[in-house]
Amino acid sequence: MDCNDCVERLYAFLDLELDEKELAQVRAHVSGCDDCGDQLGLEARFLDRLRDCCTSDVAPTQLRERVIQKLRGASPPAT
Amino acid sequence: MAGDEFEAEALRHLDALYRTALRMTRSEADAEDLVQETYIRAFRFRDQFTLGTNMKAWLFRILTNTFINTYRRKATQPEVTDLEGVDEFSLYRRMADDRAASSSPDPEAELLNRVVDTEVTDALEELPEKFRTTVLLDVEGFSYKEIAEMLGIPIGTVMSRLHRGRKFLQKRLYDLARERGIAAVRTPQKG
Repeated sequence: MDCNDCVERLYAFLDLELDEKELAQVRAHVSGCDDCGDQLGLEARFLDRLRDCCTSDVAPTQLRERVIQKLRGASPPAT
Repeated sequence: MAGDEFEAEALRHLDALYRTALRMTRSEADAEDLVQETYIRAFRFRDQFTLGTNMKAWLFRILTNTFINTYRRKATQPEVTDLEGVDEFSLYRRMADDRAASSSPDPEAELLNRVVDTEVTDALEELPEKFRTTVLLDVEGFSYKEIAEMLGIPIGTVMSRLHRGRKFLQKRLYDLARERGIAAVRTPQKG
């Protein structure tokens, strides 16, 4: 696997979407290539930052109450 | 599944549904309506939920469908759907060029830390809807296959939307950092 192949697979690697064969190839390449290793590190930090920013909001309390009210007043399930 | 058991399990995902709806609709009022509608539909069709399967994925599928059918139609302005110039953008390359001129020991960390949360989420809200929805579903931890099923698109399309969406966000954050003159990022030389 060369650098281009590796860079193309960085997101799939970080998203845990590579099959075993490609996973091993990316790992092997990254362990011997500082440039790709650094790039992997940067992408990983970026994705962590994005996830942290997007998953901290909570729903307003009134919304929770309204949803519960709706569900309790709802008719039996449609079949 | 009994009604109260269903209710308890479904409500565990309220925060995740709400924050995703908020970024999909970009409006608190619309997000609340969308989430309510999602729960009403989920409860109505709860017999179609298969026990032992992923409740979060099932609720998100309803959320996404409801959003696409209701809010996408409501969108008044056509969105720019191509992300011009993002494919060539590489945050890593830019940072590598800047690193030589930087006094920071860790310019990437500085860039990512100095940009505040709301700037990241604002950049996300600037993303065209199709890319935004795909990125949001990824952020919530769904697999490429689950996202493909929710949106009714091939896995390859999920991958390319994620790739381009992420590049767009990186470019936005990099440009923002440069405008602010963050030390890690070299300002372009004049003349």
